[in-house]
Amino acid sequence: MSVSLRCVEASDLLLPGSLPEALAMMAEPEPPTPLAGGTDLMVQCEAGARKPPARLLSLKQLPELKGIDEADDTIRIGAGATHWQIRNHADVKVGLPGLVEAVSMVGGRQIQTMGTIGGSLANGSPAGDIAPYLLIADAVVEVASIEGTRQIPIRNFLIDYRKIDLKPNELIVAVTCKVLPEGAKEGWRKLGPRAAQAISKIMGNYRGKIVDGVIESFAVSLGSVAPTAIRLPEVEAFLVGKPLSEETIAEAERLASASVKPISDIRSTAEYRKWVAGRLVRGFLTSFTKGNEGSEGSEGCES
Amino acid sequence: MKRDFKVVHHSVAKVDSLSMALGKPLYVPDLVPPGALQVKMLWSPHAHARIVSIDTTEAEAMPGVRCILHHENVPRIEHTTAGQGHPEPSPYDTFMFDNKVRHVGDRVAAVAADTVAQAEAAVDAIKVEYEVLPPILDAEVAMDEGAPVIHDEPEAHVVIPTPFDPARNLAAQVGMDIGKLEDGLAEADAVCEDEYAVHFAQHCPMEPHCAFAQVASDGRLYITTSTQVPFHVRRIVSRIIEVPIQKIRVIKPRIGGGFGTKQEILLEGVVALMAWRTGKPVYWKYTREEEFVSSRTRHPVRIRMKLGAKKDGTMTAISMDALSNTGAYGAHSLTVACNVGGKMLPLYRCPNIHFDAQVVYTNMPVPGAYRGYGATQAAFPLECMMDELAEKLGIDPLKLRTINHIKAGETSPVFRALGEGKPGIEQSIGSCALGKCISEGAKAIGWKKRGQPAKKKGRFRRGIGMACLMQGSSIPEIDMGAATMKMNEDGSFNLLVGATDIGTGSDTVLAQIAAETLGTAADKMIVYSSDTDLTPFDVGAYASSTTYLSGAAVLDCASKVRKQILAVGGVLLGCKPVDLTTAEGLVVKKDGTGSVTFSEVALHSLYTADQHQIGAISSKITHKSPPPFAAHFAEVEVDTWTGRIKLLNYVAAVDCGTAINPKLAEGQSEGATLNGISYALTEEYLFSPKGKVMNANFSHYKIFSMVDKPTIQTLLIPSYETTGPCGAKSVSEISINGPIPAIGNAIYNATGVRLKKTPFTADRVWAALKAAGVALG
Repeated sequence: MSVSLRCVEASDLLLPGSLPEALAMMAEPEPPTPLAGGTDLMVQCEAGARKPPARLLSLKQLPELKGIDEADDTIRIGAGATHWQIRNHADVKVGLPGLVEAVSMVGGRQIQTMGTIGGSLANGSPAGDIAPYLLIADAVVEVASIEGTRQIPIRNFLIDYRKIDLKPNELIVAVTCKVLPEGAKEGWRKLGPRAAQAISKIMGNYRGKIVDGVIESFAVSLGSVAPTAIRLPEVEAFLVGKPLSEETIAEAERLASASVKPISDIRSTAEYRKWVAGRLVRGFLTSFTKGNEGSEGSEGCES
Repeated sequence: MKRDFKVVHHSVAKVDSLSMALGKPLYVPDLVPPGALQVKMLWSPHAHARIVSIDTTEAEAMPGVRCILHHENVPRIEHTTAGQGHPEPSPYDTFMFDNKVRHVGDRVAAVAADTVAQAEAAVDAIKVEYEVLPPILDAEVAMDEGAPVIHDEPEAHVVIPTPFDPARNLAAQVGMDIGKLEDGLAEADAVCEDEYAVHFAQHCPMEPHCAFAQVASDGRLYITTSTQVPFHVRRIVSRIIEVPIQKIRVIKPRIGGGFGTKQEILLEGVVALMAWRTGKPVYWKYTREEEFVSSRTRHPVRIRMKLGAKKDGTMTAISMDALSNTGAYGAHSLTVACNVGGKMLPLYRCPNIHFDAQVVYTNMPVPGAYRGYGATQAAFPLECMMDELAEKLGIDPLKLRTINHIKAGETSPVFRALGEGKPGIEQSIGSCALGKCISEGAKAIGWKKRGQPAKKKGRFRRGIGMACLMQGSSIPEIDMGAATMKMNEDGSFNLLVGATDIGTGSDTVLAQIAAETLGTAADKMIVYSSDTDLTPFDVGAYASSTTYLSGAAVLDCASKVRKQILAVGGVLLGCKPVDLTTAEGLVVKKDGTGSVTFSEVALHSLYTADQHQIGAISSKITHKSPPPFAAHFAEVEVDTWTGRIKLLNYVAAVDCGTAINPKLAEGQSEGATLNGISYALTEEYLFSPKGKVMNANFSHYKIFSMVDKPTIQTLLIPSYETTGPCGAKSVSEISINGPIPAIGNAIYNATGVRLKKTPFTADRVWAALKAAGVALG
């Protein structure tokens, strides 16, 4: 018995040797569908959730999409970097520790080995593991076509449910993140039904800095509570300049719960997500003052 | 009673592990003949509907289409898909195809075509007109006045006299009363009363259902299938396609897991009839989605439970009223319900016991046999309520159980009262190491540190809980297992068994029992299971029976063969058989003055003088179903902010008599435990308001994988069951029953909140904590 994969059987595979060559193919009247790790696309085709595309354009071999480069206060990650490369990259570990945590929980080992950061963004899922981190790292998405390059802040790039600011002839080339500033702290939490290869019920990231007990900066994002991953501007605006007191934390929690409008779906209920949104913000803020209660590993993805 | 075993009680290598690891073609899909037609089924989109008309004209004309089956062109023969002994205790309420569909995913029509794509296209081209009927999607209302009648066909009936009233959607009913419940409650100093419920679940064998059939050169129908019950497949398929048993051969190759779902005859009748009609080989394999929706599930059961006890902990009353949901068809409806009472109620000594179970039809996916088989459903209310009772009495839960649990030499009136579709068999407990399971398990989990919920504060709260369990070993005086053995020139033996290794390791365990009895090594056994042409009968792999029942047949068969070997050895060594024994593949004189090899014995018997085949056949039934016992312990951490349960540590202390192969026994227990943990924490069917399964895939129905596995310690606590082969009892099912009550009790110990509905997902735990005011802290 041969293994039957609908994508493999139904689609022609294009293998451009360089980014310009790939962009030329994308400029054709009916552009091919880009294929990175295939960890979303192949699964969706196999499950019958989308029709296998007539033509697939492989991105894996493009040298321009590889590489992770550090500049002064940013790290530029090629769209073709895999989750596995990102989580093991020395500069990323120091500069974007929250990203290492986020990609470490994408799928399982096999998914991390195949899946890429560009692919994850292109999939545009509101439950994607990476977008919430990119929001608090003020990431800029670099997209290209034969007409040129555009730099799009991540908050503008994520438009709506499975809708991103990417034209049919464009490819995601890189994502540039601001590294964690001196003295700041960031963290991450995901609630799913089990430890790996589970889509989250809700997840979130934060990055913030406290100086002498006063919140100097605080960015917080959530996934799986809205059509796209979102920042919580009301919560952030409220927190900046406030002392890190129980009063502040309680109000931030209340604001977070009140400001999200999640839906009930197959993975969880709106009521639960609203509640946990607040609890996540509380957990993020209390992590400044003390270590997390409970056992090692109580943070992160959970069964 | 214990013996110094040479082969048994050693972890010899599994006989089929190397070829499996090497990826040899061993499974049904590996063996499909070239050119086999491929089957696709048109499934019902409605939960409840009558088929007004079906038009296959267009589909039949499509390229590659060879055969289409539906209710108008197959024999209309009522039967049950439950692969049980004859006559089956499940109602005859199923047709290969019917003019009515009873759940989303019920059968409408099957297409066989040259390719899967052609079959799929033809399925899409079949035109069906339905008269949609109101469905029942809640077991609680199934018997309400005026409820739609799911089985209104006149043929529906039961073949053994048991309560069955399809006009009221009642698929089965069973009950018993021992003593007087009211008296028991009246004399109790503490009484607990509550309602618990467990949910639908899927077996999730990694290999889905698959089967192919072909008409062989001898003009007979050969069916190769992933089944737990090859002999029942032959009998039931013969009946539903009207081909004599003599014309059918069923072959079971290696099987990629069953857990009960492959005790059902689902695919075999369709591929067999298509092969018979077309003369071509026909192959059908379920997709994962079909496995979820159109194979079998676990019976969800709601139980109203009462317990009463005196101040000193002596139990005076146990009451269980169960409502079991058997979905669209009554497969295993009666017997699972019997086991809800029969498998757990004998656990505690009590003079007043009431049990009643009603099993109702609904328009939902069909439950069937699933590892645990009713005991899983009963363990939750009984073992959680034992904790409630202990708290009311101010007695440690371990002590309450120790005071009351059944012990060696004792009996329970429940054994006689509840059988499987008929009265049970009285038995006294021969071996019981439950006391030691409790004490050793408590030590391993650190029971003394558990503390009281009222004293636990903060966000993350830890708790420890436990549960006691029992199961059975075979169905006494109903099930039969048999073995054939013959000796070869090199001192090896063919061991042919009807017992059905479905990945459980039973071929290895049976080889060990045979080798131990003969006095040789396990690797001298060439084990073959199971093939209705070549191996003797066996009921198959269910009811925790293979080691205890089929093992006894193998032991008896090997004893007969050993006797023949000793006789030939006596000729060769010039002495009487009584002066001889066997060891390490030799016949040796007891006085140590001489020996001959098994090979010399075989050569002599086959070629030299008084030529004959050394060999035997044996069959066995059992007169008892000795329970294995277990004490399970769970330590959890509850995140009171999110309701997330983290399972920190799990201990399963199991008394399975002699573990024939300790490594395989541990594997069975650990696998069942993880299966139960996954059921307790994450696995759940989600339905649309119209009864469609919304998460029929592994993306949205989560089973625990190896990265989720908590620390599980398995302690095999020794006992010796004198009625079992080499002292063995069963081990395959019992451990699936522990996680729900043990984790439920641990959550209570952590938070003071008791969960009464499964699974314990973060959302559900959070809601319970919130209702109790705990989550708000």
